[in-house]
Amino acid sequence: MEKILQVKDLELSFNTFGGEVKAIRGVNFDLYKGETLAIVGESGSGKSVTTKSIMRLLPESSAEFKNGEILFGGRDLTKLSDKEMQKIRGKDISMIFQDPMTSLNPTMPIGRQITEPLLKHQKISKSEARKVAIDLLRLVGMPKPELRMKQYPHQFSGGQRQRIVIAISLACNPQVLIADEPTTALDVTIQAQILELMKDLQKKIDTSIIFITHDLGVVANVADRVAVMYGGKIVEIGTVDEIFYNPQHPYTWGLLSSMPSLDTEDAKLYAIPGTPPDLLDPPKGDAFALRSEYAMKIDMEMDPPFFKISDTHMAATWLLHPDAPQVEPPLSVIERMKKFPGSRYYEGSAN
Amino acid sequence: MAEKLLEIRNLKQHFNVGKANEVKAVDGISFDIYKGETLGLVGESGCGKSTTGRSIIRLYDATDGEVLYEGENVHGKKSKKDLKKFNRKMQMIFQDPYASLNQRMKVMDIIAEGIDIHGLAKNSKEREKMVFDLLDTVGLNKEHANRYPHEFSGGQRQRLGIARALAVDPDFIIADEPISALDVSIQAQVVNLLKELQEEKGLTYLFIAHDLSMVKYISDRIAVMYFGKMVELAPADDLYNNPMHPYTQSLLSAIPLPDPNYERNRVRKSYDPASHNYAEGEDVRMREITPGHFVDCSEREFEALKAGSLKV
Repeated sequence: MEKILQVKDLELSFNTFGGEVKAIRGVNFDLYKGETLAIVGESGSGKSVTTKSIMRLLPESSAEFKNGEILFGGRDLTKLSDKEMQKIRGKDISMIFQDPMTSLNPTMPIGRQITEPLLKHQKISKSEARKVAIDLLRLVGMPKPELRMKQYPHQFSGGQRQRIVIAISLACNPQVLIADEPTTALDVTIQAQILELMKDLQKKIDTSIIFITHDLGVVANVADRVAVMYGGKIVEIGTVDEIFYNPQHPYTWGLLSSMPSLDTEDAKLYAIPGTPPDLLDPPKGDAFALRSEYAMKIDMEMDPPFFKISDTHMAATWLLHPDAPQVEPPLSVIERMKKFPGSRYYEGSAN
Repeated sequence: MAEKLLEIRNLKQHFNVGKANEVKAVDGISFDIYKGETLGLVGESGCGKSTTGRSIIRLYDATDGEVLYEGENVHGKKSKKDLKKFNRKMQMIFQDPYASLNQRMKVMDIIAEGIDIHGLAKNSKEREKMVFDLLDTVGLNKEHANRYPHEFSGGQRQRLGIARALAVDPDFIIADEPISALDVSIQAQVVNLLKELQEEKGLTYLFIAHDLSMVKYISDRIAVMYFGKMVELAPADDLYNNPMHPYTQSLLSAIPLPDPNYERNRVRKSYDPASHNYAEGEDVRMREITPGHFVDCSEREFEALKAGSLKV
């Protein structure tokens, strides 16, 4: 498959009064054409910073690339000038933000906001741009688009606003679409509509999506592949089935078992103890070791490398080292593994 | 759990009454809350679930209807002394752990505020001990008492909110989306804490949320609201396995589950209020279909649902 975007050994720090916050500590991933890659993790794990660094939206005054490169169309995005970056932003790579109220300009009719990227990036007249904008609004399912072009963001509901934001981001047929928690601020029913819309549109224009969220239900719904981030690193990456049915990293286990499924009985919910690591002073060794009941001595000493489970599945945990003891994952994870051919708990095909 | 702790009778909460922009946030809902149970209240934003909680605890003066706490009306004219009595029995945990703690007060004073108002501690030594005990109960320690809220993480702040609610030894706690602002890994910690406290102290909860899988996990019974009305009320398992009102069905079909196989085969239902085809003046109200399972329906729908559920 064709690689659209490659992130290699990315390291990024913020210089603050308190010292250097190592927000991203060596992130590697590829994005293939037409796929949806979901990045999950708790707040502060570096998922938003990773994507904002791809878009170069971080403040230059405090954010500093320490190492690595972001390759897109043969160019390293970390090295581009602001001017060059402006030609890519909104055209080849565009972004949908979490809060549709604050990401739209409240003083500008939405029609002008949708035509803005068109007029900037494409050589078309205002009336042509208007036509395209109306088509876009129709595409995202907005009734009476001609009329609504003149209206302001406050005249729309939350779900409609997010549709407008999606229309803007799709205006120039981007190759990469970054969606940073696009449905977190929305209700479940509206969320379901927006997710369906995004999947539909992806099929139509064959764009690649990086989808950031902390809702594992949403991940299961939209993703082809999943990257799990913790403490500024990717700790596990694989196809959606591999991550949900054959997870290997203790942090992924914790995430999956701390969410009650609709048939979880009254048993106590598994809670990951403790709090995320302080990236001002990242812990030595495996950042998750202090919260993990599976931690071994080596976890306190050395950072685990990636171990390969399949061609598409990797996890950074010493538990996968040939010399590591076999451990039992939490019960709910074993239940999941029973459904996955190739895992050691597989119980034959149920369906 | 047959004993009723709270009875809500035809509660109405309208805003901007008499003006053009009158909002009927809560429009005549009735339900009971039993001693020791957790009642989950779900619905989309703007359906009036938070307003219901706030009217029950008298943060708003109800437009109409009654809230009976152990048989006594909470609303209506009350002397300061009577009000104090209710305030001790009912407490609230808020959604936003950042906005609901006074940044300029130390944890000690935040938690002890209720103790001071109700005069529960005889001297400062006892007050201190009570606060330390409360911190211990919610999984923090006494060193935290001299800190300010900004020194805590979101999950820890929510624990402080819980400690503050517990300070006056209440029987009934309204938790208004207590975990929505927290990370997934921290949500489980807070939910477990709430469950433990319930077992220990026999607390009764009204748990307001829009995250349905968490609600199902913590609740004994669940009520679904839609545009200021209650549309369905049933035991938690019953509601999930056999949702009867079309709105509940559409809500359930919209929750994404952490299970890719399930997600690939999901069929989403949408709800159109016009689909009921109610005749003018038709008597639509909550009716009991099976024991404990109430649905907002007309006489005609009631018969159909009853016939349908008999087959199951």
